[in-house]
Amino acid sequence: MSDPTATTTMTVPMIPVTIDGRQIEVKPGTTLLEAASMLGISIPTLCHNPAVEAYASCRVCITEIEVRGRKRMVTACNYPIRESLAASTESDATVRQRRGVLGMMLARWPNVPVLKEMGLRYGVAPASYSHPLRNEAPDACILCGLCVRACSEMVWEHIIGFAGRGATRRVEMPFGLQSDRCTGCGTCAYICPTGAIKVTDEKNEPVDPARIRKYGFRLTSEMATLDDTQCKMRRVGTAHLVEIMDAYDLLPTYNFRFGRHKDVERISSPVWTSMVRQNVPDGCWAGCQMSCAKAVDDFVPRTGPYRGKKVIVDGPEYETVAGCGSNIGVFDPHDVVEINFYCDTYGIDTISFGTACAFAMECYEAGVLDEGKTGGLALEFGNGSAALELLHQMSRGEGFGTVVGQGIRRMKAIFAEEFGADRHFLQDIGMEAKGLEYSQYISKESLAQQGGYAMAQKGPQHDEAWLIFMDMVNKQIPTFEAKAEALFFFPMWRTWFGLMGLCKLPWNDIEPADNATMKEPNKVPGHIEGYENFLSGMLGGEYKLADILEMSERVYNFQRVFSIRMGRGRRSDDRGPYRAMGPVTVEEYESRSERYDTQLREILKVEPEEMSIPERMALLRRYREEQYESLLDAVYKRRGWTRNGTPTPETLKRLKIDYPWVLEVVRARMEEEGSA
Amino acid sequence: MAGTITVNDCAMPWHSGMTVADVLREARFVFPLLVVSLDGRLVPRADYDSVQVPDGSRVDVIHLMSGG
Repeated sequence: MSDPTATTTMTVPMIPVTIDGRQIEVKPGTTLLEAASMLGISIPTLCHNPAVEAYASCRVCITEIEVRGRKRMVTACNYPIRESLAASTESDATVRQRRGVLGMMLARWPNVPVLKEMGLRYGVAPASYSHPLRNEAPDACILCGLCVRACSEMVWEHIIGFAGRGATRRVEMPFGLQSDRCTGCGTCAYICPTGAIKVTDEKNEPVDPARIRKYGFRLTSEMATLDDTQCKMRRVGTAHLVEIMDAYDLLPTYNFRFGRHKDVERISSPVWTSMVRQNVPDGCWAGCQMSCAKAVDDFVPRTGPYRGKKVIVDGPEYETVAGCGSNIGVFDPHDVVEINFYCDTYGIDTISFGTACAFAMECYEAGVLDEGKTGGLALEFGNGSAALELLHQMSRGEGFGTVVGQGIRRMKAIFAEEFGADRHFLQDIGMEAKGLEYSQYISKESLAQQGGYAMAQKGPQHDEAWLIFMDMVNKQIPTFEAKAEALFFFPMWRTWFGLMGLCKLPWNDIEPADNATMKEPNKVPGHIEGYENFLSGMLGGEYKLADILEMSERVYNFQRVFSIRMGRGRRSDDRGPYRAMGPVTVEEYESRSERYDTQLREILKVEPEEMSIPERMALLRRYREEQYESLLDAVYKRRGWTRNGTPTPETLKRLKIDYPWVLEVVRARMEEEGSA
Repeated sequence: MAGTITVNDCAMPWHSGMTVADVLREARFVFPLLVVSLDGRLVPRADYDSVQVPDGSRVDVIHLMSGG
């Protein structure tokens, strides 16, 4: 679909157009309907919706135009403007032809409200003859084909289509049978202008299915019309972020040491667009038009039990490309996909594998490991073959794979105890917290994200809060209180998706066209409204954002209490490794010395040139670690927790979860920490 | 004479004829989900190429969020 307002870097010659005496300049290819809409001139349509390709089946948008002195009739919805023209949307010829079209339709479908309204607008009298196919139903199908195009273009399913010809033409599923591919997503029913298609939702028994579909279709339309200019989730999926993260110095490379790489183009969006199959639903979620789960068909692994055989690979996502690509120095897309495939096949998380492998590789290059200790594996960054062999060893429970497979927390202990490695160095570079490996973003320049990672209940996964842009790029949350507020709102909001069993991506990987005009666009208010309506339509009653946040806050605090009961949930558990906060090695410092020196000069008021690099690093580290402690204080306070991260009895009471056994757990911890 | 503008609280060199699109390009702001305001006024995406940024002005480029 053309986007008449899309910004292009090339200068395109604009075409002057006159519609009803008013002038406008449009880009070549803009339809007459779009041009009229830009001028606020309404041209009637029955079969048109901007979310699907123009079809011109109803003919009511027929309009008289004059090009180079010659007059003719065209259908406005699919007439592309290629040269200057003048159009008359209400000329005698235009009105006469529209009346003729509407007269024929009303003769066949006399009681369809949308037709009757249009008939009134054009003064079309009831037919004076009896149409042989007359259908009195107010919800009769008028054969506009919107449903067929929606199923094909928006859902990528092609389940419903036209059958029969001439007088027997109708819309149905193949052979008139109910297709088992139809998930009842309701896109066809919503886009239908007459209500001819009914979806009976018997699975979830929502109180108000129409209310839910209204917001569901809004999302569907956004996906179909805006995604190509936004995140390209339908084409690439989350892997569209690879080159973007690189541009902002946020793409982890070589175990989170750096944030960009000269070879990023080898693993960026165009590569994945060409490798993954296009224009098919992913089967991830019934009727979800985002379809961001991608598949590489006919992939032939070069190693392991499937070597030389054709397989289908689910992915890769951004996290997999960064974790099993740039962060281990692998820039061969084939190797990334092969690691992706074997992680899936063996039941191993690609984030944990990538981050653990990166740690082992840095240990190898730092001399903590050698081939004697790895069983002959040369674990250098960029050695895709070694990474794959490590993966196969993990699956077989053999060799060095059994060490790396235990994760970074245990590797740190093993390397210190058995190989005599420096514990402090291992702690600094081992990207884990709470025993979980970090996901794939560089958080060094975003204090809020350092908290978003290390304070997350499950460990350093970004799904509680991704605040790097708000904090580091936008400078929207400069104070500890503002960061704490973000570390309250976003974890609570995102926890709710887990409570509902919903995917978070439709919330902010596609955004309403008017999102930029909203007061807090980062929260995507239009979609929050949709989720309020979804919940209300599902359960009945009226649920608002505050209700949603409270649901999450209850569960979030319960999770914290469970952690405390298990002997965790302390302030010390909410700290991450220094690699997540700043430069651990001289090489890292020197690679971004201008940035760090500027910070020393402007924030700490020292002259870096008068200091050695290790002195600068030590000063920067002390500052950043102090900042992090202040962040913990602010976030705990906002969440209603003690300085050690324990929910207070008052907080539990406010959330109505102050059950005796819960209070017992927190009081015991508060006595231990001396804050009872 | 070379001037300066403020982009997300950071100083950025200004040049004659500089448009919003130039600011985004020179700051390497390649993320697609942006909200741009010039001295507090929202600039529609369609106008990035045509809206000129005066010397000394303040440009706020709000990056939204996406990703898993």
